Amino acid sequence: MSCKKFRVLSSAYLDQEITKDEEKKLLNHLKTCPDCARELEYLKQIKGIFILKGKKEPREFFETRLFERIKNKGKQPIWQAYFPVFKRSIVVILIFFSLILGWVSYKKLFYHRTTEIISDLLFDEQSDENFEEALLETYYGPHG
Amino acid sequence: MEEDFELLAKFKKGDQQAFESLVRKHKMAVFNTIYSIIGDAQEADDIAQEVFLKVYTKAGSFKRKSSFPTWLYRITVNRCVDELRKRKNKIISLETEFDQDEKLKLKDVLASKEGDITEELKRKELEDIIQKAMNSLPERDRIILTLKEMEGLSYKEISQIMKISLAKVKVWLFRARQKLKGKLSFLYPEE
Repeated sequence: MSCKKFRVLSSAYLDQEITKDEEKKLLNHLKTCPDCARELEYLKQIKGIFILKGKKEPREFFETRLFERIKNKGKQPIWQAYFPVFKRSIVVILIFFSLILGWVSYKKLFYHRTTEIISDLLFDEQSDENFEEALLETYYGPHG
Repeated sequence: MEEDFELLAKFKKGDQQAFESLVRKHKMAVFNTIYSIIGDAQEADDIAQEVFLKVYTKAGSFKRKSSFPTWLYRITVNRCVDELRKRKNKIISLETEFDQDEKLKLKDVLASKEGDITEELKRKELEDIIQKAMNSLPERDRIILTLKEMEGLSYKEISQIMKISLAKVKVWLFRARQKLKGKLSFLYPEE
């Protein structure tokens, strides 16, 4: 086992979260590795720091304030209670409608352009004349 | 543990007193967990209220798959993660650098064998220094150190709360301690 693994094991050893077998291996390693032994001492110090950190109390009348909030939550209109959910839904609905709107406008534009091209073809007088001339030439030869 | 289940069952039947008993029993753990992760007592109080508000509305969905404290810690930790992510977007800078005076104070206390500090003012200052060191750590390290060192939970409980494997708890805790050691490097002689 590498020193790195023994150091992870040292941390778990301080929390008494290693097996008897692991503990035996670790203690044997510490006898021969001063670096890992020093690391264990540092880890002990780090752990010790938290003992200095006492527990804090929440602000006064915690329960009273909480029950007041619960009571007010019951009083408020349903839309307000579910506002965070509504907020998310509104965003989704807006995205959905913008996509539909975008798709409809694109389709409309595409239809408009297609009809324009078709009508150009249908009402192009010059091409009609050319077509007629070509037809006459086919039946009666060039220049009638 | 049975007591929690009994209180919860009573509350589900409409007994408000049972809910109040649950709050009274667990408020310190919830508040201190939040305070240690978030680093602000005022906000921790507000978030602790939101946590119990959630317990009040979601008690019906609690299945006895885990213990009540595990479920409560999970709600608490998730709420803290949400808060820290919100803060990331707001860019709130917490002061995390130690001044010379703070370094000396911490060094003195750790040098005294028992780490005994009787003066209330000195204790308060030291708590602030340790909290400052915690605030400088990434979110994941703060959470795992809080659950282990402040709340004294087992690796199994931490793995259930954070939804990670036992092996990960072991490695993440080691890394968190390493990072904390890095922040408090002034306490250690140069290697």
